[in-house]
Formats: sequence, structure tokens, C-alpha cells
Amino acid sequence: MAEQLILLTVGLPWLGALLCWAAGDRHPRLQHTLAVSFSVAAGITALLLIPFGNERLLVTLPIGGAFGDFTFSPDGLGVFLAAIATVIGSLAVIFSVDYMRGEAQLGRYYAFVLFFIGAMVGLVLTTNLLLMFVFWEITALTSYALISFHNDDPKAVAGGIKALIITQFGGLGLLIGALVLFAHTGGYDILAVIANPGLLPAGALAWMAFGCLAAAAAKSAQFPFQTWLPDAMEAPTPISALIHAATMVNAGVYLLARFFPAFEGVAGWREAVMAVGMLSALLAAVMAIVATDLKRVLAYSTVSQLGYMVYAVGAGSVFAAQFHLLSHSVFKALLFLGAGAVIHSVGTRDMREMGGLGKKIPFVRLVFVIGALALTGLPVLNGFWSKELILEAGLEPGNPLWMLIVMLVVSGLTAFYTFRMVWLVFYGQPRAELHAHEAGTAMKVALAPLAIGTMTTWLLAGSFSRLLSESLPAQQIAAHSTGEILREVLTASVTWIALAAIGLGLAAWWQRDRLAGIGRAFSGLGKAASNSFGFEDVNRAVVMITQNSAEKLRETQTGMLSVNVAYLLAALIVVMTILALGVGLP
Amino acid sequence: MTISIPTTVIIMVLGLIGIGIYALLTTRHLIKVVVALQLLVKGAMLALVLAGRLTGQEDLGQSLAITVIIADTIVAVIGMALAVQVRRVIGTLDLRSLTSLRR
Repeated sequence: MAEQLILLTVGLPWLGALLCWAAGDRHPRLQHTLAVSFSVAAGITALLLIPFGNERLLVTLPIGGAFGDFTFSPDGLGVFLAAIATVIGSLAVIFSVDYMRGEAQLGRYYAFVLFFIGAMVGLVLTTNLLLMFVFWEITALTSYALISFHNDDPKAVAGGIKALIITQFGGLGLLIGALVLFAHTGGYDILAVIANPGLLPAGALAWMAFGCLAAAAAKSAQFPFQTWLPDAMEAPTPISALIHAATMVNAGVYLLARFFPAFEGVAGWREAVMAVGMLSALLAAVMAIVATDLKRVLAYSTVSQLGYMVYAVGAGSVFAAQFHLLSHSVFKALLFLGAGAVIHSVGTRDMREMGGLGKKIPFVRLVFVIGALALTGLPVLNGFWSKELILEAGLEPGNPLWMLIVMLVVSGLTAFYTFRMVWLVFYGQPRAELHAHEAGTAMKVALAPLAIGTMTTWLLAGSFSRLLSESLPAQQIAAHSTGEILREVLTASVTWIALAAIGLGLAAWWQRDRLAGIGRAFSGLGKAASNSFGFEDVNRAVVMITQNSAEKLRETQTGMLSVNVAYLLAALIVVMTILALGVGLP
Repeated sequence: MTISIPTTVIIMVLGLIGIGIYALLTTRHLIKVVVALQLLVKGAMLALVLAGRLTGQEDLGQSLAITVIIADTIVAVIGMALAVQVRRVIGTLDLRSLTSLRR
């Protein structure tokens, strides 16, 4: 039963992708219908898979040979992320019915979206590291194709290529990890190395651990790779909500959480993970304060919130990281789709031109404010509980206190930029003549469940912790009931300090006119922030070098048969020499 | 001095493969390329038969060789058909003018 469900959850979106593409762009209604029905069906199968989460099944597709068997394990971590990918995926597809109406080449759009959803499910369910790498790369490719969906817009094409190249660096890290694992165990079994990290010598394990950290940082747009995500905002907004807020960027956090039991003993790994998370959270929050593009603010806040999750894994609380991942996926998808409704309505992304939109689009304002309050971390929305759990994890003995203080400051900054964003868009006086119309039916159908989810998913804390603790013995997650978790959060001193920090952030926005002098004193910082503190240049240089060297390498592709045969012969000689000399592992 | 049968076959194999690779490296004519490929693959086929004989799996080696013959015939036929089409469409069989696959 579980086997069929897994195959269906991966297969249904892929089948839908083929059908949407085959339906042809002359039948847009059929394409909308096909995409919605297949993504919703995948969402249902993923939800049906959740009860199998604590049975610790292992589903094997025998392949044999060098690749090892293709194994899937529907454990707590996997089924929960698969459910997020498919359910939020189906909501994004429903939203697209309104958002993409009248666009050309819908087949390409829906085919890539559905292909992505299937690959994301495969990525989180498989326990074969090589297969995981394949799914990992499929998500990167579909993300590239969808960022550059409007391929007549040079900015969209550049953003897509940048995202592709930067995430490929991370992919290399994962590939190194997979090859190290294969070299030492003769297989790609993730569960084996998690159950017994001693399978690998310490040096090899360190290579794998830091390779996976690089992969996770690039995929989740963490320091120092954080600049591709804002540029990826050229994608259609449902794509930003699905891939660049709710699912693909979570893959990095998932990878760290999955391998946490294996890597926690590696010297310096946990500290490195915490530092990466903290720096991302801090830098992105500062950048969000000065950004003027609505979607870029949301992108920076995504980087910042992912920083919280990475920090939580480093601090040793996989549960807090995954719980915040759940909250963040729901409220950030809500914020992005809400922003999509705003952008669709007024036709611009620049917040300086908006203002006073709340009266014209009250429904969108309502759901957007709910999402914004959750992002700020105000009670009782889901973002509050999960963020406080992360901060509490930072208080555990052995974790540096100064990092926790930085994270508390970041929660104040979060409150500041969130309120700035909400105010600039929905309140105050209109700053430009904009014609706004309320969201369509399909948009409302997608937004309402997310708003309800933002208000309620924290009630799942107890069952979620039980699911994770039963299915992931190596992660050592303690099962608590919802009541216990809520009491724990409410009685922790750090919760009240965080609320005070959030209050300070709000007060700073309230008194922004009086604080303008201080703002001017920090204008240099603001300028540095809008240029991503120089990391923009580093990332751009990486992209340029890659493109230039690719251009140079193209000259080796002469298309001359005799030259190619010479290459073949040379490669053969090299391989024969290596085989004759014999090889040993480092 | 007597030369054993395996030695003769190995010399034949190396000779065929050598001639094939040499021709592929030097020729610029599409039909000659097809001929060179045939020589190369025949060398490999002979090596299969010999390997079967030397390891005592004569039937396996020979059946593999027959499979190669069939596949190779198809390659030759398609290669020739391609050459005819290339000549018709592009007007030349010189590989140097076929590098970009453009007319």
C-alpha cells in the first residue's frame, strides 16, 4: 500500500506534466484543468501517506549494479515534507489559474511546475544518496526553467542562470558527499550512515559533512550564497511562493536535519551550521529593511527565516527547525500568493508606488496581514510558537550565547521590516494612481486555506513531535503533547525577551520619523545592505567566471570527427594507464 | 617457430582496430568513415570470439559476435542512408563542411 502511494505521489505530478505538455497550448482550459486535478490528486496521496510515517517502512525498487537499489522510506521527515510540497504545490497551481490566465505557453509552465513537485517528493522520500542527488538536480533545473519562464525578459534569463550556477556549486558538495559514501561503504544508503556514522573514517565523514553543508547553503540561499534568491523573484509569483519560499529552498534544511545524527560529532560542524544560519538571518533582515521591491523583501525574509531553521539544526533541535519549516512554508506561501494578488491587481512590484491599497482589496489585506503577523512572530499564530522553540534551542548548554542574542536582535528587525512592508503596501495615502481590482475566485480559493493554516498549524505541534520521534530514532527527538510544548514556550524567559525585541522593532517603526536622524547616521550601512554587503559582487563574479570558462571550453567542441576520436583515444589511454597502475582510496 | 592460433587472432584484432582508428582519425569522407567503423567493430567482434574461446565460454562469445554483426549491419545501412541524404541536402560528403550541421 505504502509502495503504491509513494509511486503515485511522485508519478502523478510527472504524468500530469506530460499530459499538460501534450494537451497543447491551443487548449488552455484543458491545461488548467489537468494541472489542477493532477496536483490535487498528488496532494491527496501525500496526505494518505502520512499515517505510514511512523511504521518505519522501507520500499525498495531493485535496480542493482553500481547505483544500488532505489529505496524510499516514508518516515516522519519525508512524508511531512512531501505533504508540504504537494499540498502547497496544488494551492499554487490553483492560484495560477487566475494569475497565469491569458499567458502564452502554459504547457511549458505547468509541465515544469508538476515536474518540480514530483521531483521534490522523490527528493525527500528517497534514502539512496545518489538518487537524492538526481532529484536534487531536477529541482534545480526546473527552478531555473521557471525563473526564466518569461524568456524574452533579459532580467528573468539572467536571474535563472545565476540561480542555476550558484545551486550547482551546492550540488557539487552533495555529489562529493555521495561519492565519499560510496567509496567507503560500497553503496549509497543514507540510513546506514545515519545509524552508524563510524562506518566512515573521521576524515571522510568531515568531507561529507561540509560538502552537505555547502549543498544546503546553496540550495537554501544561505550565507555566502544568499544573493541568488532575490534575483529569482523574476519568476511568476506562484513559482516564488512554491519553489522559492515553501519547498525547494527547504531542501537544504531538510538535508541538514536528515544527516544531523551522522554529522553532529564532526568537529566544528555544528558551530559552522549555526554561524551560517545566524549570518544569513542577520544580513538578510538588514537587506529587507532597505529593499523597495515587494517580492524582494519577501525573498530576503525567506533567507532570514531559513537562517533561523539552519541555526536551529546547528543548535541541536531538529524538531524546532522542522516545526518552523512547517510554519514558514504555510505563512510564506500565503504572503507570496498575497503579494502575487497585489501585483496582479496593480501591475507593479515597487512598494513606493503602492500605499492605501487596503481599502480597495480588503480580502487580500486581511490574509496578508495574518501572514505578516506570523512572520513577525506574534502570538498566537504559527510563526510565534516555532520561532520561540528555535530561540529556546539556542539557550541549550554548549551553544554560544552571543549567537542567541544576535537571533533575538534579528527578530526585532523582522518585526520592523514586516511592518514597513505592510504599511507601504496597504496603509497610508496612495502614492500613485493605481487601478486595483480584488483577487479572483481561484486566488481566494488558494489564499483562504493558507490563512486558516497560518492560524492553526501550531495545534499540530504534539502529533508532529510524536511522528518525528517515533520514525527518526537517531535524531533523538522527545515526544511531547501540544499542551506541554505550549507551556514550555510560554514559561521560557527567552520567549518574553523575544517579544520585547519584537515590540521594540514595532516601536521603532511607529517612531520612524523621530528615529530618522539615527537612520541617516546608518545610511552607509543601508547602502551596503542594498548591495548585499559585497556578496552580490562575489556571486556575480562566480557566475561570470563560470560563463566565460564555458565559452572558452566551447572551442574544444569542434564537431570534427577526427578530433573527437582523438579525445576518445586519449581518454582510453588514461583509463588503461590508471587500471594498469592500480588505484587506492585516499 | 610456430605461431599459435590465439596469437594470430590477437594480431588480427589489433590490426583491424588499429586500421579502423587510424582511418577515423585521418579520413574526411563520410562513406570512408562508415567503412572505418565497420573495420573497427569487426576487430572488436573477433576479440569477443577469442575471449569466449580463451575462457571456455565459446557459445557465449559466438552469440555475442552474432548480435554485434546484426547491430553493425544496421549501423552500416543507416550510415549509408545518412550519407545519401547528406549528399542530397548539403551537396558534399566532406566532414569539415558538416561540423555545424547547418546547410
